[in-house]
Amino acid sequence: MTLRQLAAPPTSTGTGAVLSCRGLRKSYDGRLAVDGVSFDIGKGETYGLLGPNGAGKTTVISMVVGILPPDAGDIRVAGLPMTLRALAAKSRIGYVPQEIAVYPDLTGRENLRLFARLYGLRAAAARARAEEVLEVVGLSGRAGDRAGTYSGGMQRRLNIGAGLLHRPDLLILDEPTVGVDPQSRNAILDDVTALSGRGVAVLYTTHYMEEAHRLCDRVGIIDAGRLVAQGTQRELTALVGQCDRVRLGATGDLASAGEALERLGSVRGIAVGADGIELLDTDARTALPAILAAVSGAGATVRSVTLEEPDLEAVFLHLTGRSLRD
Amino acid sequence: MKALAIAAVDLRRTLRDRTNLVFVFVFPLLLVFVLGTAVGGVAVPRVGVAVAESGPLADRLVAALAAQGAGISVRRHSVGELAPAVAHGELDAGVLVPAGYDAAIRAGHAVTVEFVARPGTVGTRVGSVVRAVVGHEAGRLRAGLFVAAERGVPLDDGLRGVDGVAASLPRLSVSARTVGTDLDTGGRFDTTASTQLLLFLFVTALTASVALVETRRLGVLRRMLATPTSTAAILTGEGLGRLTVTVLQGGFMMVATALLFDVRWGDPFAAGALMLAFASVAGAAGLLMGSLARTPQLASAIGILLGLGLAALGGTMMPLEFFTPFMRTVAHVVSPHAWAVDGFTALGRGGGFGDIAVDLAVLLAVAVVLTAVACRRLRRELPGGTSRSALTRGAGRS
Amino acid sequence: MRAVLILAGKDLRLRLRDRSAVLIAVVIPFTLALIFATVFGGNETPRPFAYAVTDLDRGPVAAAFVDVLDRLAERDIVTVRRVADPAEAAELADGGTIDAAFVLPAGIGTDGTAAIEVIGNVNAPTAADVARSLAAAFVDDLTSVRVAAVAAAGEPHDPRRIAALAERAARFTPPVSVVDVSAQRRILDTRTWFAAAMAVFFLFFTVQFGVSSLIEERAGGTLGRLLAMPVPPGAVLTAKLLTSVLFGASSLAVLIVATTAFMGASWGAPLAVAALAGAAVLAATGVTAVVASLARTAEQAGSWQAVLAMLLGMLGGVFFPIERVPALKALSWATPHGWFLGGLGELAGGGSLREVLPAVAAMCGFAAVTGAVAVVRLRKAVRP
Repeated sequence: MTLRQLAAPPTSTGTGAVLSCRGLRKSYDGRLAVDGVSFDIGKGETYGLLGPNGAGKTTVISMVVGILPPDAGDIRVAGLPMTLRALAAKSRIGYVPQEIAVYPDLTGRENLRLFARLYGLRAAAARARAEEVLEVVGLSGRAGDRAGTYSGGMQRRLNIGAGLLHRPDLLILDEPTVGVDPQSRNAILDDVTALSGRGVAVLYTTHYMEEAHRLCDRVGIIDAGRLVAQGTQRELTALVGQCDRVRLGATGDLASAGEALERLGSVRGIAVGADGIELLDTDARTALPAILAAVSGAGATVRSVTLEEPDLEAVFLHLTGRSLRD
Repeated sequence: MKALAIAAVDLRRTLRDRTNLVFVFVFPLLLVFVLGTAVGGVAVPRVGVAVAESGPLADRLVAALAAQGAGISVRRHSVGELAPAVAHGELDAGVLVPAGYDAAIRAGHAVTVEFVARPGTVGTRVGSVVRAVVGHEAGRLRAGLFVAAERGVPLDDGLRGVDGVAASLPRLSVSARTVGTDLDTGGRFDTTASTQLLLFLFVTALTASVALVETRRLGVLRRMLATPTSTAAILTGEGLGRLTVTVLQGGFMMVATALLFDVRWGDPFAAGALMLAFASVAGAAGLLMGSLARTPQLASAIGILLGLGLAALGGTMMPLEFFTPFMRTVAHVVSPHAWAVDGFTALGRGGGFGDIAVDLAVLLAVAVVLTAVACRRLRRELPGGTSRSALTRGAGRS
Repeated sequence: MRAVLILAGKDLRLRLRDRSAVLIAVVIPFTLALIFATVFGGNETPRPFAYAVTDLDRGPVAAAFVDVLDRLAERDIVTVRRVADPAEAAELADGGTIDAAFVLPAGIGTDGTAAIEVIGNVNAPTAADVARSLAAAFVDDLTSVRVAAVAAAGEPHDPRRIAALAERAARFTPPVSVVDVSAQRRILDTRTWFAAAMAVFFLFFTVQFGVSSLIEERAGGTLGRLLAMPVPPGAVLTAKLLTSVLFGASSLAVLIVATTAFMGASWGAPLAVAALAGAAVLAATGVTAVVASLARTAEQAGSWQAVLAMLLGMLGGVFFPIERVPALKALSWATPHGWFLGGLGELAGGGSLREVLPAVAAMCGFAAVTGAVAVVRLRKAVRP
């Protein structure tokens, strides 16, 4: 499969897709933030939008949930067009914004009841549903406390809970684990997996490769507003071919080291960071002595070496020549 | 030195905000000007007289009012505009001579002259003068009517007879004189300037405490403590910052009002010392508020309440002389403004340091006590301090 | 509409939970009105005038004058102390212990040329003026009776006939009297004035809690969440405006009831007061919404609104009668405060809804203009 095929819109017309986006484009003050993004998400599918900070993930999400009108393109949720006023389409979506968008001065329970009511539930149903969701996100014990007094992880969970109240067909999570302790993060990822198992379609943005790796059936890699590739993880890693990913923790003149490495025949991609160099190499095991020699020859000192099988991080490096972390 | 650095940061934060500058420097001056022009010092009460239907008797009454000589300015006014003008404060009082005034009197009917005034002492004063003038006219008319009735002549003849007798008859009179030392400092802006100075110094210092609340909430205080800075230096710095803003404002207002409005503050050193003492009280009160309030909103809300309430109680809006003895005592117990007002009044009368010694002492003592309490509060919030403090609560939220 | 009510209900609940909001909406205006009314006096005068009287005559005429003073003392308008020595009376006035002293000379009833001496303290001009007027009125009354009797008796001068005429003349009522119609002439009494002034002044702070929270919701991310929900975009803005209106109206309602119950304020005909209050709330909401639409952060909105509230309050005559400054007279009508207080003044004389319609209309005009500007600007704000 070629790169072009992967980045091109899926051939299926999206009938039956829970979410279908075609040719989304958005620019701010003449700067193109999102450029020709198209993808589909089917029932029960988890789709990851993977890209570094500022790649345009949140802009895509804002257009999908209907709070930002696209300059061009078409969004359909369960076949319904999404616009600012598309209330029917909006009621199919559960949205978990990147910020902790709950009212700190209301209790957890009050927050959920409020949002449930706004999703159209009647008062009694909203009360019952709020209790269920509190149970799901593990906040029943603190439901009567003000959300402002919760720990960061609890607030994140409440933030997610608010998107589940109306049993949406499509759950959209915008970097839901930012600033969360590892334990809470695990719990959140488990929740998403469970929801997906129940047939909920999930759109998940992240800049953590591991999360995309763990959760997503399909991944779209976004960089500088463009969807550079999408497909299953197997399809994507196949793009890198037989390359290994090498991480060099190094100090010294990394720029020269990078240039020296580029001259090595086996190196396919390279990204120079502040504290080291990442590179793709067709046969890292054999080339490692040459790599290390090139680096030290350029005046840098190698402190650590990590060698990994091709993964999404390697794909990103391969496609963009940059590391996800930067 | 560190204290100075903290104070400097504080000062810069306050002065960087343009709205602050408006509140601290522009607004007080504007108020001094407007208030001084509107109600300042020796303003002559303004009375409007409206005559619904002109006639010799009505005109005579108006002339008598105009010539009353009691330091009240009387001018003719239109009937319809009279009450609204009083209601809106353009006039202090109004007198309405009703339609049919002449006719009713000639027919021997009773007539009422209507008097309207805004509530307050000026209205009372004008009312008594108007009553006296009307009473005098009524006496003449009564005599005239009586004579006309007794002798069966027209009223005008009766009045002529009465006037003739009145001129020749030895009569009881009233002689009035005033005694005592005149407390009025003269300039129309003088009192306004000193009272507005006090009002705004206090309000500024209290609302500036918002910055301290934010410092506490943001955890900056804890960060400062993490540096090798002593608690004493931090507290001194915070206090000094408060005080500098207040003193800057006070000094600016004194100089600006002296230059722009010719306000005489009296002995400059004594006045400066008094301002400094009051600024210390205000700064200390701000420090205390900043150490107590949990949120900036709460701090500014209570700041407005205390700033305006204590100012009103302390005689900055109405002279303390007009207070009942009880209220005057209350004022001096609860409001530092009262002591400062006393001090500025004494200086305005040409007093010096000796005349304001007590006021200065009281103000400084209050400043010391408030600062001590505030420092205790803040110290308790610092690590090693007792229990769940507002600081840790604030930090936990962020 | 359902979403609007749910959102407004949420905002009101948040505000009631927020102590500073309740402080600003109710506690502070009430307390300040109470303090101002106490300091500035609920009656015509802040305290009774302190007088002293020295009666050197001890005749019936002098007794009549002392009686006049005693009757005023019974009504707490003055206090009267009797002092035997005129020098002592002058000393009391000089020292400021009393405001003024009356010295009734010997022969006041018999000697036609005697004079009542009024010694006033220079720092109590009002009390001294009132004292002088009291004496003058008494003297005028006496004189007019004597003059009437003498003039009616004509020549020859017959003391017995004059005395008889004087008795009749004394029963002849003076034809002109002064009535204080301030209360009927749309002049608010002190308590109501301060209650109303503080209520409308703080109203402009109170309504902030609705509209301005739109800025907070935008910063906190909840606005984005609301807009992604099946909630019409207009509902959020409508809910915010409604919150302002409801919160402002509740604050005014509580203040009106509280100041009536605990301060003795008399606001006037309920329907007319409600109309004025409603219009004032709308105007305040509109003005505040414009500021909120211009500000980028909640702090910025807060401080701009504070400046504006102070400025409008001052120009509207909340703190002192601005109209004494002729240059600023017209400006008072450019503020909702001026119209609100003016409208209440109309009610002080027992006016009804009809009298306050101009004020209501003016404030609704403010609300319409500012509201339109705000809605146009804020509609953009609820779209990210």
